[in-house]
Amino acid sequence: MGLLALGTALDWPDAKQQAHLVRAWGIRQLLEIWNKAKGKERDALLWGDEVEYLVVTYSKEDNSPVLLSLRQADILKALADDKSLSAKGGCVPDLQHVHKQNEPLPVFHPEFGRFMLEATPGKPWGIEFKELLKVEPDMKLRRCIAKDHMLPNEYPITLTTFPRIGSPGVFTDPFYPVSGPRLRSQFVPDEIANPHIRFPTLAANIRARRGRKVQVNVPVFRDEKTPWPWKDPTVNYDLHNWPEDEDVRSGGAAPDNFIHMDAMAFGMGSCCLQITFQAKNVTEGRRMYDQLSPLGPIMLALTAATPVYKGFLADTDVRWNQISKAVDDRTPEELGEKPLQSDRWQIPKSRYASNSTYISTDHRLRPEYMDPNLVIDPAIKQELLDGGMDDRLATHFAHLFIRDPIVIFNEDLQELDLSKTDHFENIQSTNWQHMRFKPPPADNSIGWRVEFRPMEIQMTDFENAAFAVFIVLITRAILSFDLNFYIPIAKVDENMETAHARDAVLEKRFWFRRNVFSQRVSRSSASGSNTPTGGVSRPPTPFGPVEDEYRLMSVNEVINGTAYARESQDGRGTKRTWDGEEKEEEMVEEGDEFPGLIPLVESYLDSVNVDVITKCELATYLDLIRKRASGELWTAAKWIRTFVAHHPGYQKDSVVTEEITKDLVGAVIKIGEAEQKGTGFGQLQGDVPDLQRLLGDLRS
Amino acid sequence: MVKLILSTGNIVSGGPSIIRKPGAYRSNLELTNSLRSNFLAAQQDFAEVAHLNHSHTHNGNGSNGSAIENGNGHAFADGTEASDGRLHMSVWTEEVQEGENGARALFVPRIDWSMAGLQEEASQYEITVKLFFLPSASVQKRAQYAREALGLVLKELGVLDVDLLIVSFPGMSFEGDCEWEADKMNAAQGDDEEELATWCSAIEGLHRQGLVKNLGVAEFGSEKLARFLKRVNIRPTVDQINIKNCCNAPPPLVKLAKEEGIELLVHSDCTNILPKGTLRELLGQGLQGAGVLADSESGDNSGLRGDLAPRWVVKYTAVVRDRGVIENKGYFASADLTDEQVL
Repeated sequence: MGLLALGTALDWPDAKQQAHLVRAWGIRQLLEIWNKAKGKERDALLWGDEVEYLVVTYSKEDNSPVLLSLRQADILKALADDKSLSAKGGCVPDLQHVHKQNEPLPVFHPEFGRFMLEATPGKPWGIEFKELLKVEPDMKLRRCIAKDHMLPNEYPITLTTFPRIGSPGVFTDPFYPVSGPRLRSQFVPDEIANPHIRFPTLAANIRARRGRKVQVNVPVFRDEKTPWPWKDPTVNYDLHNWPEDEDVRSGGAAPDNFIHMDAMAFGMGSCCLQITFQAKNVTEGRRMYDQLSPLGPIMLALTAATPVYKGFLADTDVRWNQISKAVDDRTPEELGEKPLQSDRWQIPKSRYASNSTYISTDHRLRPEYMDPNLVIDPAIKQELLDGGMDDRLATHFAHLFIRDPIVIFNEDLQELDLSKTDHFENIQSTNWQHMRFKPPPADNSIGWRVEFRPMEIQMTDFENAAFAVFIVLITRAILSFDLNFYIPIAKVDENMETAHARDAVLEKRFWFRRNVFSQRVSRSSASGSNTPTGGVSRPPTPFGPVEDEYRLMSVNEVINGTAYARESQDGRGTKRTWDGEEKEEEMVEEGDEFPGLIPLVESYLDSVNVDVITKCELATYLDLIRKRASGELWTAAKWIRTFVAHHPGYQKDSVVTEEITKDLVGAVIKIGEAEQKGTGFGQLQGDVPDLQRLLGDLRS
Repeated sequence: MVKLILSTGNIVSGGPSIIRKPGAYRSNLELTNSLRSNFLAAQQDFAEVAHLNHSHTHNGNGSNGSAIENGNGHAFADGTEASDGRLHMSVWTEEVQEGENGARALFVPRIDWSMAGLQEEASQYEITVKLFFLPSASVQKRAQYAREALGLVLKELGVLDVDLLIVSFPGMSFEGDCEWEADKMNAAQGDDEEELATWCSAIEGLHRQGLVKNLGVAEFGSEKLARFLKRVNIRPTVDQINIKNCCNAPPPLVKLAKEEGIELLVHSDCTNILPKGTLRELLGQGLQGAGVLADSESGDNSGLRGDLAPRWVVKYTAVVRDRGVIENKGYFASADLTDEQVL
């Protein structure tokens, strides 16, 4: 979240009137940056990670339930007021030995949920390999500083979602009644959102634009004793406070066999792990945007950590679609439920969804990869073209700008300020696709950036650092080896859906490109000077059908390569799916072997100078990812599921009770404390069930 | 006698030969695979050129000023194809006279130096060069080898100096299941006197001349390194080691390196990177061979004859400094071929 401007936020009917103005000014601001920054060259690789936390109140000793703490503002204030922090000393000497640092301290930010915090490093990271090793200690430091400015019974934890948010009864501290005017939710109070005017307005205007409450429905996991068909027992059909309360009665908002949720907080209250890279120039940025895009669903499945919603086990493992639905502001006309009358177009995706564009100038980008259902605003595209932007990038922004701005501050509408990017950012930053292409800020002080957004937050900083560093190394391999991960956008969309399935990391297969290597360039200028076409590149081999360029692969095969996947497969014999159905893996044909992302990263590391200690640390990170992909280690989602299933209080009816939630959060807190103390996870053996399956011997 | 200069070109975006095979931690596959694919690629590229030249001439509209003819005086007289259907060697390799004494060097494949060089100015790169002295090669000629190898790298990258030159001596490794044992065994490997003599006569001079900013060694265990440091004039700043598990660096070596301010780097090369048999196979008439050397068993094929002796191998890497992107990586290798006859 950026800086939170203050002002008078317009309610929806008024905001809607100003949407065209905001878009028009946003495009003017975009063109201003484009023309200023399109020639920007040679920016260094700088990158940053964002870690988001839930804040819970938890007391081991008494019988009180674990609750979400709504003291975000107080905690941030405590951090800001702490004079000792400016002295950059240690934080909690009882837990760990802390050195004096010359580095700037981490930075804390508010988030949508009033129970959330976001923390980023004090300055961006570089690509010095030794610097990659600073990420994990910095993440630990962030958690330590955060904890230090909370009450003794408050803890920052990195679960993606709070298992019982929206459950009947008390789940926040302090308690507030549900059904407030802003969210009109029958499950969560308005006070669940950050009270800054921006956030309640965001939620209210999404609801108002949409014409009803958001519908976040997740299939429930059917266990032995789950009643079937399953009707969400927490839905209140007798509420008559708001017109929207009718949705569950006559609107079909709460279908059978789905956990029903009705507010933005169920989605935007999820914690993610996001990585932003600075590219050397706009061309490299566009290339990274495209090449990282097909990795999104793979990394989503691999980081799966979200199996519980509103006190029930879900039949999905990740957060993505829930956030997508939680901020889906499309009207019935845009959704295609009613014929178009007042709206301009039907829109196939929520504003939070997988990417819809490829934007690179790469000659390997075939028109067949593009999204056939892409909606753009042709007038905006024309304005961008007239302003000097190329067709492909103009198409990208003309697509983002089909959306309305949600939160508009009256004060910003007085006059257009081209030294700012506020109107552009208003649209840009409320398009939550799984990648984000970020132009430099108005003062052009930093470069073109690309944000990788699909990953789920992991319970430990070790894991979060591992995934962050892995993505950094993958970008270096992509740029060095000139890798080509292109597949059609429609296939990436399909993969994104696939990634939601329970244990998709092991049980599902994903579309992925067969040959990721580029064609070699001829060494012979002689051939160039003699061919009519000229140039040094070989004349491109005629393209075959696009469908031949990709095939289905397991996450194991994508991450570890065909050879490794085959071997680990043989070791386990025939796989059994969750349904108990046996399935044979298809054999990969000779010559169709995929090298694997980790071998690619290792080959990159083999070619650069890395010292022994750094290599060892990086190898540990790669080990974690390798084993998660092969199933040797569990995802957080599987660990949480198993924790619930084996809990004595679990009745095999999909219900995650207060008691189970408390023990689960208690275990997560224990893991976090062990990590802070640096005593290793091994000592928790027997204390925290199945920790060995989650982390193996790593950091033990 | 002819000196062979083999090259891989830039292998970094060339595809699979750079990709590590699972479990391979000490390997020369990258070198052999990339040489093989570069030979093949050169044959394809120059076959196209040859073909075009022919058609141009026959059409009567082609100038005969092809780059090939201009460049080196190899005319495509008749028969760019040898009798066995392979592209004739003279098309895709290049023989040049070096120096005044008329020593001959055969570039396999021919190198178009006009395409050499890096994209940005040299200061943007960290350039690392690793020179492999081979077990079968002459110890006396190492100074010459080092100059030759480094010269080719400077020419290929279009730079005046490199940041780090790592020297690999034959017969050294870290073998053994336990790191202490590996370090101990290492103490008796190699030849201290030879290594020292090479360092002083062949390597330190490159540093003094300003061609190399820093020097390094490879596979020196704690004892060897301690002895070495006592006697050299210009100290290495790097010791590059290959151990099965990089988390098990031998503690005495870690300690010594720390005390002496030497950086311990990791690599995955094997020391004897280009054995004679491998080289002969690469250049021979077999299915995977380049068809440069005649087959020793049968006399009815074309190619050069004679005794093949590998001289040195050099690997170079240019990494964009603050972006961590490898822009160029490749190898040169050299061998002597004595008493050859062209059939």
